[in-house]
Amino acid sequence: MKPVLTLDHIQKYYGNEGNLTQAIKDISFTVEDGEFLGIMGASGSGKTTLLNCISTIDTVSAGHIYLDQTAVTDLKPKQLARFRREKLGFIFQDFNLLDTLTLRENISLALTINKVPWQQIGSRVQEAAESLGIAEILDKYPYQVSGGQKQRCACARALVGNPRLLLADEPTGALDSHASQMLLSTLLMINETRLATILLVTHDAFCASYAGRILFLKDGRIFTELHKGSDSRRTFYEKILNVLTMSGGGQTNVC
Amino acid sequence: MYAKLILRNVKRSAKDYLIYIVTLTICAALFYAFLSITSRYYHPQAGAEYDFTVLGDGMKLAILSITLLILFLIRYVNNYMLRRRQKEFAVQSVLGMEQHTISRLFFAETFLLGGVCTCAGILLGMFGSQLITALLLSQYDLPFRLSFMLFPDTALLTLCFFALSLLVIGLFNVRTLRRIKIIDMLAADRINDPQLGKSRYMPVVTVLHSVFLLITVLSGISNMRYYFDPRFPLPVWVMFYGVLLSPALAFVWPLIWLAAGACTARLQKRRWSLQTLLAVKLLFALLNICLFASVPRICFHYQISFGSSALGSDTGANRYLLFLLADLSYLICGLHYLAGSALNLWKEKRPAYTYSGQNLFFFGQIISRLTTTAKSMTLICLTLVLSLFLFLAAPALTGWAEGYLALRARYDIQISTSYNNVSEESDLPAGEDYELVSAFLEAHRIEKKSDCTFHLYLPRREEFHNRIKWDFPVVAISLSDYNALRAMQDYAPVSLGDTEFVTQWQSIATEEERETFLAEHAAVQTDAGTLTMAVISDDTLPDGQKPLYYTEALGETLYNKYTDVLYVFPDAVCEQLLPVMRNRFLQTKTPIAYADALQLQETFMAQYPEEPAGGEGVNYYLRTRTEQVNSTKASIFITHAAMLYGGIVLMVICLTILSLQQLLDASKYRCRFGILRKMGVEERDIEKLIIKQLGIWFGLPVTIAVLTVIVLAAFFFTTIRQQIDAYIGLGTLSAQVALTVLVLLILLVCYLISTWILFRNSVEE
Repeated sequence: MKPVLTLDHIQKYYGNEGNLTQAIKDISFTVEDGEFLGIMGASGSGKTTLLNCISTIDTVSAGHIYLDQTAVTDLKPKQLARFRREKLGFIFQDFNLLDTLTLRENISLALTINKVPWQQIGSRVQEAAESLGIAEILDKYPYQVSGGQKQRCACARALVGNPRLLLADEPTGALDSHASQMLLSTLLMINETRLATILLVTHDAFCASYAGRILFLKDGRIFTELHKGSDSRRTFYEKILNVLTMSGGGQTNVC
Repeated sequence: MYAKLILRNVKRSAKDYLIYIVTLTICAALFYAFLSITSRYYHPQAGAEYDFTVLGDGMKLAILSITLLILFLIRYVNNYMLRRRQKEFAVQSVLGMEQHTISRLFFAETFLLGGVCTCAGILLGMFGSQLITALLLSQYDLPFRLSFMLFPDTALLTLCFFALSLLVIGLFNVRTLRRIKIIDMLAADRINDPQLGKSRYMPVVTVLHSVFLLITVLSGISNMRYYFDPRFPLPVWVMFYGVLLSPALAFVWPLIWLAAGACTARLQKRRWSLQTLLAVKLLFALLNICLFASVPRICFHYQISFGSSALGSDTGANRYLLFLLADLSYLICGLHYLAGSALNLWKEKRPAYTYSGQNLFFFGQIISRLTTTAKSMTLICLTLVLSLFLFLAAPALTGWAEGYLALRARYDIQISTSYNNVSEESDLPAGEDYELVSAFLEAHRIEKKSDCTFHLYLPRREEFHNRIKWDFPVVAISLSDYNALRAMQDYAPVSLGDTEFVTQWQSIATEEERETFLAEHAAVQTDAGTLTMAVISDDTLPDGQKPLYYTEALGETLYNKYTDVLYVFPDAVCEQLLPVMRNRFLQTKTPIAYADALQLQETFMAQYPEEPAGGEGVNYYLRTRTEQVNSTKASIFITHAAMLYGGIVLMVICLTILSLQQLLDASKYRCRFGILRKMGVEERDIEKLIIKQLGIWFGLPVTIAVLTVIVLAAFFFTTIRQQIDAYIGLGTLSAQVALTVLVLLILLVCYLISTWILFRNSVEE
C-alpha cells in the first residue's frame, strides 16, 4: 500500500524565547491508504496540535508533512486553502455545522466550495446522506436535530467531497454512548466499504478501539504504538486500557 | 478589588463597543454644542439690535426631547452587553458573589463608560459650540471670531441629562439581572439561534393599514363632486379615479384572500399563503404611492385645488401627504418582512447561482438574519427616512422663512391698517399721521432717512362691503405715493397717463395668476371713470404690446387682505376715491435697538390697538425691522438647528445600531467564518463575503430609506413649489440639498468603513 500521509520529524513550539513550550517534540509516522489510524493521549500530550498541523490550520516549527507526496509545509496560503478543500475532510467535536443552513445546504456547501457543477450536487448529497442514514432530515436546521444526527451530517459533509484523508477530532466528545457507537460504526463502515483513510484523535479508549492502529502520544512524543491485527475489538480495547494504565494516563481500576 | 474589576471590564468593553462609544461621545458633544447657545453666559459679539435670549427655551425643549431618543441606543447596547456577559456573571455567582453585587458592578461599569463618553463629549462640544455660533452669527449676517469658553450651566445640564439617562437604563439592567436564574445564565451561550419563525406584527400592521385605506377611500368619495366634470383632461381623470379605486381594491383584497382561504380549506386544497396576501397588498401600496405622489404635481400643472375645502387649498395636499406616508411605511414594513421569503424563493428558483462558490453560505447568513430582525430593520429604516427628510426639508423651510423675511422687512418701521372689522365709512382712519412715532424717534435720537405716509383707496366705493374672502377688492395707491415708496427702496420712479393704471405684484403670486388677472383687467371701473392698463411695446407679440406691471419688493403690507396685487392710479383719480387704509413706512439712518423697538411697539399699541375694543373698528399694526428680524431669525434658527440636530442624532443612532448589529455578533460570525476557513475557503473569498454581507446590511435599509425619501421629498417640494420659486429659488435650494446629500454620504461611508475594519479584525482574531 502506498502512504497517504507522512510526518517527518515534526516539531512545534509555542511562546517566545523567554517562555518556550514544546508542544510536539519529535514525531514521525506514516499513514497508509485506507488505514484507520487512532491517535490517543492525555490532555496536553499534543494531540490537537498535531491534528492542527496536519490539517494545515497551524504551521510546524520544524520538520515536514507530506500528503500524497506533496510537501504541505511548503505550500503558500492560497495553495493551502485549495489543498484543504480538495484533499481533507474534517469532523469536529462540536460539529461545526452552520446554524443558518439546513443539513442539505451544509453538506452542499462543501461541494460548492470545491466548484462542483450544481447539477451533480443534489445527487451526491443525497447519496452521502443515505449512506449515513440522515436522508429524511436533510431539510431541517441543525438546531432541530439531535447531536448524533448533527455529527453524522458533519461526517457526510466531510465525506461528500471524497477527500484523501478524513480528520476526526474527538468526534464522539459531545455525544451520548449510543450516538457514539452509531457514529463509530459508521466511520468503520466508511473505512471498510469506501476505503477512506481516517485519522481519529481521541482520549477515549472505547472510541479508539474502532481504529486499526493506535499511536499513543505523551508529552509531545510517540510513546508507543498498538496494532489491532486480528484481535477482536474487545481484546483490542483491553490492550488499549493496559497501555493507558502503563502510561499513567488511563483508569487504574478497569473492570 | 471591585474597582479594579470594573476598570478592567470597562477597558475590555471599550474595544468591543468602540462605535457605540464614539456615537455616545458625538451625541454628548452635539448636545452640549447646541445647548451652549441657551447658556446664561452666552454673549456673542453682536450689536444692540440683536437679542439672543429669545432662542432660550424653545431650543432647550427641542433638543431635550430629541435627545431622549438616545435612551433607545443606550438600552439596545446595554441589553446586548448583558446577554453576552451572562456566562461571566454566572461564573461570578457560582464563585459566591451575590447577584446584587454583580448587578451593581455591571451598573458601575456601564455608568463609568457612559460618564467618560459624556466628559469627552463636553470637551469636543466646546469646538462644536464654536461651529454653532458661527452658524448662528451667519444667520444674522454678523462676523465670527473664535473664542473658547466652557459654559458651566450647559456642561452641568449635559452631565445631569446623560447621568440621568444612564441611571434609568442602569436600573432597568439591575432589575433584569436580578431576575435571571444562574442556570439560565450558564446556559445562555449554548442556546442556539432563535427559531427562524416570524413574529405576528405584520398582520397587525396590515389591519392598521386597512383602516387607513378605508379613510382614504372615504375621503375619495367625499370628493365625488369633481368626478363628473367633463372638462378635465385625461391625467386628471386618471388621478381622480386612481386615488379612489386603487385604495378601494387594496382594501377589498384581504377580504378576497380570507374568502378564498375559507373555500380552499373546505376543498382541502393548498391555501394562499400570507406571503401572497402581502405581496399583492404591497403592489397595491406601490400603486397608491405613485397615485398619491402625482396629486400635487397634477394639481399644480392643471391649476386645480383638489380636495380643498373651506379650510384652504393646502388641506387636500396635506391629507394626501398623510396617506402617502401611511402607504410608504406599510411598503417599508412589508418589504423587510417579505425580503427573507423573496430571497428564499430566488434561492430555490436559481440553483445554478445558489450552488456556486460561497453563495449558499451567503444566503444563509442573510436569510437567517432577515427573518429574525425584520422588525428592527423596519424601525431603523423608518427612522432613517425621518432623519433624511429632516435634512432635506430644513433648507427648504428655513430658506422659505428667510426669503419671506427679506420681502417683509423692507422698512425700519411699517405701520399698516386693516378695515376688516369696520362697518361704517366714517370709522375709517383717513388723515391719521401717527405723529407719536415721529415724537418717539426724536426722543430716542433716531434720525429718519425717509418717510412716507399714504392712503390705500378702493376703486369703487360699493366694494367697501365686499367681505367674502375670495371677493376681497384690490386696493389702489396714488402714483406719487407709489414713487415715494419706490424711491425709499432705490427703485426708479414710474409715470402714467391721466387715464392709465399699472399693477404692482406681491412675489408669492404665480405667473399664471398674474397673466389671468392682467388679461381680465385691461380696464378698471372706478368712481372717477374708467382707467385702462398701461402697456409697453413688445414686437414678439401679435398685437405688438404687452401690459405693464411691477414686481419689485415694496413690503407685504402694501396689499389688501387676501390679494396679491395693487393698482397704481394717477393722483387726480385717487382724490375722488374712498381711502380705506392709512399706512406709514419709515426708514431710519441707524438701526433701532431691540429694547427701543419693543418700547415703540408698546407705545404705539397703547394708542392704536391691534384688536379694536369690542371687536369693531380699525386694526392697527406696527412692525419694526429689528423686531421682525430678531423674532424670525430666532425661530428660523431654532427650527433649523432642531431639524439638523434631530437629523444627525437619528442618523447616527441608526447607523450605530446597524453597525453594532454586525459587530456585536462577531463571535458568532468568527465561528462561522472559521468553519469556512477550515473547509478550505480562501481568505480573498472570505473578504469578499464580508464586504457583500455588510453591503446588504447597510445597503438594504439605506436604499429603501433613500427611495422613500426621494418620493416624499418630491411630493413635499412640489407642494411648496410656489414658495420655493418666490422666496428661495430652485437653484439655491438644489445646491443646498446637494451639499446635504454629500455630507450624509460621507457620514455613511465613514460608518461603513469603520464597521468593515472592526468586523474584519474581530472575524480574523
